[in-house]
Amino acid sequence: MIRESHNAVVARNEKWRGPIVTEPYEVGWAREIIVFVRALSVEGATAGIEARIQISPDGMCWVDEGSRFELPTRADEVTFARVAHFGNWLRIVAELPQGVCMQPVVTISLKA
Amino acid sequence: MTELFEPSLRALRLADPRLSRFDPLPRIITFDDFDRGFCGWTQLVGNYEGSLDVMLPGYAQHSAAMLSTCTAWEFGSHGGFDGSYSLKIATRPRRRAQNVAIKRLTFRRRGPIRLEFYFTFKPEASELRLSETDVRSIGFLYDLQSGDEDAEAFRIMPHMRFLNALDGEHVQKWQFKRRTTPFRPLGTENKTVTHYHLSPEDWEDLPGGGQRLCYNEIPTKINWHYACFDFDLETWRATHFSCNDRSFDVAAYEPIRIPGMRNLWCMLNLAFFAEADTDKRAFLYVDSVCLSGDF
Repeated sequence: MIRESHNAVVARNEKWRGPIVTEPYEVGWAREIIVFVRALSVEGATAGIEARIQISPDGMCWVDEGSRFELPTRADEVTFARVAHFGNWLRIVAELPQGVCMQPVVTISLKA
Repeated sequence: MTELFEPSLRALRLADPRLSRFDPLPRIITFDDFDRGFCGWTQLVGNYEGSLDVMLPGYAQHSAAMLSTCTAWEFGSHGGFDGSYSLKIATRPRRRAQNVAIKRLTFRRRGPIRLEFYFTFKPEASELRLSETDVRSIGFLYDLQSGDEDAEAFRIMPHMRFLNALDGEHVQKWQFKRRTTPFRPLGTENKTVTHYHLSPEDWEDLPGGGQRLCYNEIPTKINWHYACFDFDLETWRATHFSCNDRSFDVAAYEPIRIPGMRNLWCMLNLAFFAEADTDKRAFLYVDSVCLSGDF
């Protein structure tokens, strides 16, 4: 049996400013995940800004999973985090400092 | 030939638990059981050229469909109609927010096609109240175009939605639309245009289309519903629509009809959509989908 695999774009070209959070995504069928963030544009200094992976029992109450990764610092840069053992729900959160704006494409690559 | 084999074909299908809950036409074009993955259902992305910034806001809000276990915070996973997974279309938590999942095919024969699916809907259970008016609508549509050698080039978009609630009123009726928004060119190459066929305007009541669907008594319990929509690719007319125990008169039903595009010949797209009536996510679950044709 071929392993299921799927790419889900959960954020696209939104203007990220201040606190950001992606929409809840159900990932219970998958065994492993890579969350990619590609910047379409970046305004301001984003060096060192980290995003965090969060998991949830119900898609409403969230807790840090422990994985962190830096956001891109320029257009077309891609950063990512590998995640395993995450239950049924996943999202990413970050806090962008004042004056920083990023337009991302966030892709969750899932594999069973 | 179809008549000769019909009794044995029917018996075979009734003996198959996956198909016996459907009444397909002789040829099954697609059978999407979401325990086998997404089966070609994906996010509807809006048209663009040069930059994503030109995408209409109605499309820009769309997000990825999910394989869902339909999980509730207080009793756990509901599961699908059959097996664990269903296709879930979730809006953002904003009044009037919409989301659409689509499957893109082309057709090979003119004639009757039948779309059957089981569905249910709920808002996100973020409050301890029934929330029966928090989902504005759920629905489905085809996006079709005539063949490249047809005498007349046109695009046909049959739409149907269950208007569950509007501005807090529990409406519960089926509606269709025959108009879309004016076309708008995108970019500078004169190759791409856009229009917003899911705009809130121009929905019309299906005559006799009121229906009270089972909703259940708390915001997390769901019940699956059956829907069946027949459309003819030769006459470009709807011929039948039913949901659960009700059949509706489709004599007044008309699809959106617009000029053909230069690159969409024989297109047969299917889509499901959900819309929120409050600042709460609206969820449409589908499990499963059977598209069949009389050929």
